Amino acid sequence: MRYRTQAIAYPYFVVALLLYGLQMVFGLLSIAKYLGPDPIVGWLPFDVSKEIHTNVLIVWVLTGFMGATYWVVPEESRAEIYSPRLAYWQLGLWTVAGVTAVVGYLFRWTEGNKLLEQPMPVKIAIVIVMLMFLYNIGMTIWTAKRLTTTEGVLVAGLALAAVLYLPALLTFDNYTVSIYYRWWTVHLWVEGVWEMIQGGLLAYLLIRLSGADREVMEKWLYVIVGLTFIAGILGTAHHYFWIGVPSYWLFLGGFFSALEPLAFLGMGVYAYMAIRRSGLAHPNRLAIHWTLGSTIFSALGAGILGLAHTWPSVNRWTHGTMITAMHAHMAFFGAYVMIVLAMITYAAPGLFGHDQEAGESSTGLWAFWLQMGGMFGMTMAFAAAGIGQTYLERILGLGYLETQQKIQVHFLMVLGTGLLFVVGVGLYLYDFFFLAPRRSSAPTAWPAVAAETEG
Amino acid sequence: MTKRQTRAFFLGSTGLFTLIFLGLTIDSHRQFPTLTHADRITPDVVAGKHVWHRKNCINCHTLLGEGAYYAPDLTKIADQRGAAYLRAFLADPAKFYNEERDRRLMPNLKLTPQEIDQLIAFLGWVGNIDTHGWPPRPILVSGAAIPGSNVGGAAPQPASDDPVAVGQALFSQSPPGCFACHSTTAGVNLVGPSLAGIGATAAVRIKGADYHGKATDAAGYVRESILEPNAHVVTGATFSSNGQSMMPATFGRTLKPEQVDALVAYLMTLK
Repeated sequence: MRYRTQAIAYPYFVVALLLYGLQMVFGLLSIAKYLGPDPIVGWLPFDVSKEIHTNVLIVWVLTGFMGATYWVVPEESRAEIYSPRLAYWQLGLWTVAGVTAVVGYLFRWTEGNKLLEQPMPVKIAIVIVMLMFLYNIGMTIWTAKRLTTTEGVLVAGLALAAVLYLPALLTFDNYTVSIYYRWWTVHLWVEGVWEMIQGGLLAYLLIRLSGADREVMEKWLYVIVGLTFIAGILGTAHHYFWIGVPSYWLFLGGFFSALEPLAFLGMGVYAYMAIRRSGLAHPNRLAIHWTLGSTIFSALGAGILGLAHTWPSVNRWTHGTMITAMHAHMAFFGAYVMIVLAMITYAAPGLFGHDQEAGESSTGLWAFWLQMGGMFGMTMAFAAAGIGQTYLERILGLGYLETQQKIQVHFLMVLGTGLLFVVGVGLYLYDFFFLAPRRSSAPTAWPAVAAETEG
Repeated sequence: MTKRQTRAFFLGSTGLFTLIFLGLTIDSHRQFPTLTHADRITPDVVAGKHVWHRKNCINCHTLLGEGAYYAPDLTKIADQRGAAYLRAFLADPAKFYNEERDRRLMPNLKLTPQEIDQLIAFLGWVGNIDTHGWPPRPILVSGAAIPGSNVGGAAPQPASDDPVAVGQALFSQSPPGCFACHSTTAGVNLVGPSLAGIGATAAVRIKGADYHGKATDAAGYVRESILEPNAHVVTGATFSSNGQSMMPATFGRTLKPEQVDALVAYLMTLK
């Protein structure tokens, strides 16, 4: 840790990881309800558990992004954060808004709009938090008079994420028009500006971890985010096919969303080239695991599995089935969860006061591989369920309820592999909160390693 | 390539595609009123949309294929089930499903009759949105794996031009989807009554004192029941409510006369 205010990242990461744990609880509950019967349907039905599962995910990943930004910006701009006090207030308000939303959902306080269920007062609090955040980061960079491409892409991604949240505040009487603009937030976040954030964090990590040449890395970063937007903007239309829009969106959405894997594959190639050129000498091998894992899993989950059902003639049959759940789980985990965990893992030794000493604990490796294996298994189980559902329900015309019975075994497999995954998450949290040595504790169990290479 | 060039590539392509996207958005707005029949968005439809959101329906069901996958898609439900059925269903969903059998249950949302009507108006409007033919074949809530319901196989083709064969195939096709609500096995009642032995039943029914329809023979009764479900109402928790049949009254419009003939011919053969 070279700058004192990088420590702001620590409470952000703590909140993020605690919410990650909470997300697991509601994920397990939701899949258990698929197996049924559901003894608690009266007070916590599926719609609530699923809503909390997805909302907590969005909140904690954003918390992770913001924490990571507080870590990255001082190093890149070579300056302390403009106002640490504002950053802590921001986290406080953000946490209150998030917890209020979750508790509210338990009491059916919801706007019932998929992924944007937050009631209006919470939405307004979110906008205020984003403004506080962008002001603080903006002033830091402004006073430092130094903006690198890496942090520029990262911060621009976050600023655009704030701008694109605004359509979520609008309501329309026409349901088709509401959906049309809902995707401006949801799609252009996860297949647009969040990829910018991922790209910025990936560039930062690769430069730090491999010591690759900054000039080269940043040059290609522009190409990756360029590809993201070429495909991602018009690719929004793959959500428009069947909601009542003009027919030209079918071809445009099919064509451009078929290009979406390019940016993700680009990130994989990007990491590979960085390693080829500069090797992986960094002692924080766990952070290397998470960083490279993220490029591979996002290429598979977001890229290839998205492509699998994005073409209109395929999507016609798979739209609204478990196929979507298959793609969504691996994509979100690979692209966003893993990049945040990579940042946390990379920053942890510094935050704990051990700049020079990083190591790979076996707990950390177990946490990594159990999450990888668990998520891979869940994805495969969702895929099997989705293929079965598409064939039985959509092609043969079997009723929805009968189809769900016939694919029960795959839900059992989601639960099994999901439990593996949750054990991995538990180990990650245990490692972060209890095992990792703090400055005050003796770091004897950790091998002394070479000094961190400079970027 | 230099960094300056790749930056120009990023900014230029992003700007270009943003402009195209905004342009097409404006054009889409021009077409939304026609594609979605915006003139049919009555205050009831709008109120129904609010009920839909407030009750968090989308986190179990899908609508236009969007939502959660825990419960059936509702895009065409208003057409498939009809208002009377939906009214009774939404008042107490547990009456229509068995949690032991179906593994899941819709909670009772405690909707007022007015909210139910608004929700049905909303779902009816959604069902008419021009979705480019999605879903490519009807998505049924339930109806299979039950003897005599004839589903689970490919859409049947008639074995000959014999009206009975044509009618039998039609019965198992979607649309009209008769099989989704009626079994042809005695004693197996799905949503609608079993049609086993309907010819014989009809012959008795038209002679009954409570029959006020126009049919004079069994075949006439069957025809009348298809075209005007309310002409004679069979009571049953999921068959009718308040003297109104829950069967859609739309087959007179959607079926060709020769299709109705074929269906009647087939149904009259059921023992």
